[in-house]
Amino acid sequence: MFKLALKNTLFYKGRSITTAILTFVSTMLFILFISMQDGSHNSMLENSLKIYTGAIEIYAKGYRDIGGNDYLIEDAKAITDKLSKIDAIEAYSARYETYGLLSNKEYSAASMVAGVEPSKERVLSSLESALREGKFLDEDSKNCIYMGAELASKLKLRIGGEVAFVGGASEGSFAADIFRVCGTFKTGSFEFDSSASFLARSYFDELMYAKNKASYITIKLKNLSDADAVNSQIVKILDDEKLESLTWKTLMKSMVEAMEVDNIFGYISLSLFLVVIFFVIMIYGFINISSRIKEFGVLRSIGLSKRNIFLLLFYEIFILSTLALIVVTPLSAYICYYYSINPIVIEGIADMYKDYGIVSDEIPFDFNPFTIVWNIVVIYILNFISILYPYIYINSFKPIEAIRHV
Amino acid sequence: MIKLQGVNKYFFRGEPREVYALRDINLTIEEGEFTLFGGASGCGKTTLLNVIGALDGCESGKIYFDEKEISSLDEDARTTLRLNELGFVFQAYNLVPVLSVEENIGFIMRLRGFSDEEIRRRVLEVATLLKIEDKLKSLPNALSGGQQQRVAVARAVAAKPKIILADEPTANLDSNNSQILMNMMKELNEKEGVSILFASHDELIMKSVKRVITLNDGAIVDDCKQ
Repeated sequence: MFKLALKNTLFYKGRSITTAILTFVSTMLFILFISMQDGSHNSMLENSLKIYTGAIEIYAKGYRDIGGNDYLIEDAKAITDKLSKIDAIEAYSARYETYGLLSNKEYSAASMVAGVEPSKERVLSSLESALREGKFLDEDSKNCIYMGAELASKLKLRIGGEVAFVGGASEGSFAADIFRVCGTFKTGSFEFDSSASFLARSYFDELMYAKNKASYITIKLKNLSDADAVNSQIVKILDDEKLESLTWKTLMKSMVEAMEVDNIFGYISLSLFLVVIFFVIMIYGFINISSRIKEFGVLRSIGLSKRNIFLLLFYEIFILSTLALIVVTPLSAYICYYYSINPIVIEGIADMYKDYGIVSDEIPFDFNPFTIVWNIVVIYILNFISILYPYIYINSFKPIEAIRHV
Repeated sequence: MIKLQGVNKYFFRGEPREVYALRDINLTIEEGEFTLFGGASGCGKTTLLNVIGALDGCESGKIYFDEKEISSLDEDARTTLRLNELGFVFQAYNLVPVLSVEENIGFIMRLRGFSDEEIRRRVLEVATLLKIEDKLKSLPNALSGGQQQRVAVARAVAAKPKIILADEPTANLDSNNSQILMNMMKELNEKEGVSILFASHDELIMKSVKRVITLNDGAIVDDCKQ
C-alpha cells in the first residue's frame, strides 16, 4: 500500500504539491504563531522581572504579611555568602525598603524609598535603563535620590531639585534628610513610577542605621525556567525556619493570573486557527478524493479492503505531510531562532504603549525545540484526522456505484 | 459452482414505478463454463454479472458460490470473496494508472500475499500467454486499447481465480483486437480451467462461447448451450 501511495503522490503531481504547500503554509503559520505568543509571554515576564522584582526573593517570615522593622533580615551577608555558592544564580542583592514622606516647599507625597546597590542593580533590574532624565546612582552617591518620573512630576521636581524626607529608621527612630534629585526613571509601570525612589545603599545604611540589614534579598537567575529548582536549593541551603524564599510565580501572582487569562485567549485564537487549518486541508483532501471515487471503486471491486483503502489514504497524507514538514521544520525553527535573538523591532511602539506596561520596541519570538516538535505532531494529527471524512465518504458508495461515479 | 435462486433486483424501490433489473433469476453455472449473458441494452446482463460478482446486492433470492450463500454477506466478506475467488475484466479496462503493466498484473496476487518470486513468475507467464511480455515496464496510458484490455485480462487471471467476470470486454476494441482477446480468453478457459462469464451483445463473443443465456427486461428468456 505504501508503494501504491507513493506512486499516487508522484503521479498526481498537482494535487500533491498543493496539499504539501497547504501543509507547509499552515505549519509555518502555526509554529510562528506559537513562537510569537510564547515569546510575548516570556517578554512580558522578563520585562516585569527586569523592572524590579527578582526571579526569587528571600524574606524574613512575616515581612510580606505584616511588614515593619520587626521582620527584617538581620544578617544579610550570612545569606548572600550562601547564595554565592549556587551556580544557577547570576546576581543577587540585599535591598532595604522603607516608606516615608517626601516634601518640597509646596507638595508632599508618600513614597517607597529603597536602599539599593547601584552596581548590582545594573545587572538585576532595569532601573538604570529606565532612566528618563539626569543620571543613575553611584555606589558613593550621597543625598542623591533617583525617583520615578511620575513621582517627580507629582512633587513638581526637576533634576537638581531638593526634597525633604522623613521616615522611620531601622531601630525605630526618625530618619530625616534633604535629598537632591539626581535622576528620574520611567519603567512603564505607572504605580511603580509614581511611588518608588532609590538611594545608594551605603548612604541609606548610614541614614537608616541599616547596615547588613535588608527587607529582602533579590535574586536573578541565569535561566528563569530553573526558578523552582533553584528555590528548592536555596530553601535547603538556608535551613532557617525564620526565612522564606519565594519565586516570581508567588511574588507576581497578579501577573501570573493575567498571563493565564492571556493564555486562555491565546488558546481560543489558536483553536480557531487549528480549525481553519483542519478544514482547509480536509476540504481540499475531500475535493481530491471525490475526483478519485472511480479509482477507489475499481480498487475495491478487485479486492482492496476498506482497511487497505484507509491505509492508502493514510500513507498518501503521511508522505505529503512528511515532505512538507521536512522542509518547513528547519525553516520555521530557523526563523524562530533568528527572531528570538534578533527580535523584530517596530520603532516607537514602546513609547506609544509605555503607559500600558510595554517597555520595549521589540516583538520577540520564542525558540523552543520541544514546542516546535509538538506543533508538528499537532499538524500530523490534524492531517491524519482530515482523511477520516473522505474515507467515510468513499465507503458510502458500493463498489459498483463508485466505478460508475462521474 | 454458482447457483442463483429466485433473484430479484429492482431500482427506484418504493417509487410509483419500480424498475426491475432482474426478475426471478434461477440459474446454475458449473465449473469451467464459458458463458455469455446476452440481450439488448438495458436487459439486465451487466446487473446479473455484478450480482454474481458480489459487486452489487439483490432485493430477494439467494446466490450460492461453491455451496456457500453469498447474497447476505457484508461488504468486507464480499471484498474478500472478490479478492480470493473472482477476477474482473471491465469494459473500460480500469487499470491502476500509476502502476506499470507488471505491477497491475501482479496487484491482486500481492494483495493475496503471494511471494515476490511467485508474482514475478506468474506475471511473466500470463503476460507471455497474452503477448504483452514486452510491455511489462510500461504504464497503462502508454498502451493501445487492445493492449490495455489484455493487461486487464492478465490481472484478472494472474491470481488464478475460480471465475472471471467480463463486462463488455470487447466494446472498446476493434474487430481484430476483439478476436485476439477472445482467442486468449478461450485459451485461458481451456488451459487454465478458469470459468468465464461475459456480459455482452457482441456477435463475436456470442459465437465463441459454449453457452448463451439471453435476458430480456431482467428475466432469462433463453438458455442455450452450443
